[in-house]
Amino acid sequence: MEKHLDSVPDHEVSREEITSVMTALEPDQLIFAKEHHHCPRRQLTPTEMVIFWALRIYLVFMVGVVVYQIWTGVR
Amino acid sequence: MKDRNTTSERGGENPPRSIALRDPESNNRVSSAGGVVITHEDIDRAHDREQVSATRARRGFRPRLRLFWLLIGPGILVMLGENDGPSMLSYAATGARFGVGFFVPFVVLTFLMACVVQEMTVRLGAATHRGHAELIFDRFGPFWGWFSMIDLMVGNFLTLVTEFIAIRAGLGFFGVRPAVAVLGALLVLSVALMTHRYWTWERIILGAAIFNLVFVPVALLAHPHWHEVAHSLLTWKPLPGGLTQETVLILVADIGATVTPWMLFFQQSAIADKGLTTHDIRIGRIDTVLGAALATVAALATMLATAPLFVHHMAAANFEAAEFAQALQPFVGHWGAALFALGIFEAGMVAAITISTSSAYAFGEVARRPHSLNLPFKQGKAFYLVLLIEAAAAGGLVLIPGIPLVYIVLLVNVIAVLAMPPALLFLYMLVNDREIMGDLVSPLWANVLALGVVIILVGAGLLFGISVIAPNALAMIGAK
Repeated sequence: MEKHLDSVPDHEVSREEITSVMTALEPDQLIFAKEHHHCPRRQLTPTEMVIFWALRIYLVFMVGVVVYQIWTGVR
Repeated sequence: MKDRNTTSERGGENPPRSIALRDPESNNRVSSAGGVVITHEDIDRAHDREQVSATRARRGFRPRLRLFWLLIGPGILVMLGENDGPSMLSYAATGARFGVGFFVPFVVLTFLMACVVQEMTVRLGAATHRGHAELIFDRFGPFWGWFSMIDLMVGNFLTLVTEFIAIRAGLGFFGVRPAVAVLGALLVLSVALMTHRYWTWERIILGAAIFNLVFVPVALLAHPHWHEVAHSLLTWKPLPGGLTQETVLILVADIGATVTPWMLFFQQSAIADKGLTTHDIRIGRIDTVLGAALATVAALATMLATAPLFVHHMAAANFEAAEFAQALQPFVGHWGAALFALGIFEAGMVAAITISTSSAYAFGEVARRPHSLNLPFKQGKAFYLVLLIEAAAAGGLVLIPGIPLVYIVLLVNVIAVLAMPPALLFLYMLVNDREIMGDLVSPLWANVLALGVVIILVGAGLLFGISVIAPNALAMIGAK
């Protein structure tokens, strides 16, 4: 986790800057918070899973259609 | 996840969470008593938010205007950014092929659809402070997350190629050689990044994006029939010539010119990077609608500008990119044609910057690397390198001779339409997720509108599929 927190300032951070960050930003706006607290994973319901897969199949199929059109266009 | 009572537009109302101390182990890293590390990004973002808080605390018209100025940006950028090279060429092809009529109100409708979709990203970004890719990975897991990333990256790269086609073609009107045009564009993109401040970057790109309205004077020079334009807006004439393979392609391309997956990722990430909070959602919405209005004006102006080609029965298929400008010269004069070519260049340039930025944001969110335009290059190497390498690769491809420009740009817009329904499903589920949105989940009317957009997009995609696989079947649904 620590390796991700390399976005540190080049200069020494003053107390004013620290106070500014603590007062101006919401707690979950801090990069530290974003790195350490992730949204918990949610389980997909069977209906949601079906919709996800249906749209995925739709996309793959339609991309095939586009490729077909390009192929016929080139010919 | 969200405790809205602790969220601050504090402005000194709430005390700091903990006393901050310098970490003796690390000269740069700063820890609070609670072990919180403060980064460069935090400091820059806090500086911007302090200005917002101070301005919000003041009464009167001027402070309100300043607050608006401080908070607008992502919405205008995303809408004018989407008026990109392929979009403007789609509008140009539409005007040249069909004139005004069916497509004038149709383009207005597509921008209304864009407003519905982008409003959801405003709420999502302000409520979670996280980018779209990050939320998809966290909530739905890497399996679905990678699908959405692949959709985004492939779509973004193809679109970027067409942006450089537009840049090349636009500057080609002025005799600039393709290699010089592409290298110049990459240089501009790099210079914009050297600000290392989201705020400065946003203002520079906003300034460039407003230039999208250059199509308005070109349209005026073309002397459009305003009565006919107003009549078509009010009556919405039927599709000229009925449904054919060509009209379906233009129809779908025009939808793809206004609603695309990169817009979702870009606006949400930009809102998180800018530091907008739930207090800023109202202005975020105004920002989005204002952007859509400006983009609609530019899109309609492009159609009106090329409408003389339709009136004089000139075939759109004969024109590619800047050749539209050359073809328009007899109708709008040299300066009008030059403005049109400049507009095509600007559209490609601004979109090249915003689209490559959306890729870099998404990469950073997924790879858990620092991803902010507030980062110095040294600390955001991965973010900036992804952005620059993607742009350079797309620019390089464009230098391959013999590319059929108009065909490619129309198809890129079609691909954008096809990729939208899966992307919208993620957005729809996230924005209705009470665990991350709290009270800001979509109301019923917003869900109904979003569902309407999905139905239109899927319908348009299927219509395109039918037009390619079984063009004769179009006869059954209204072809002539």
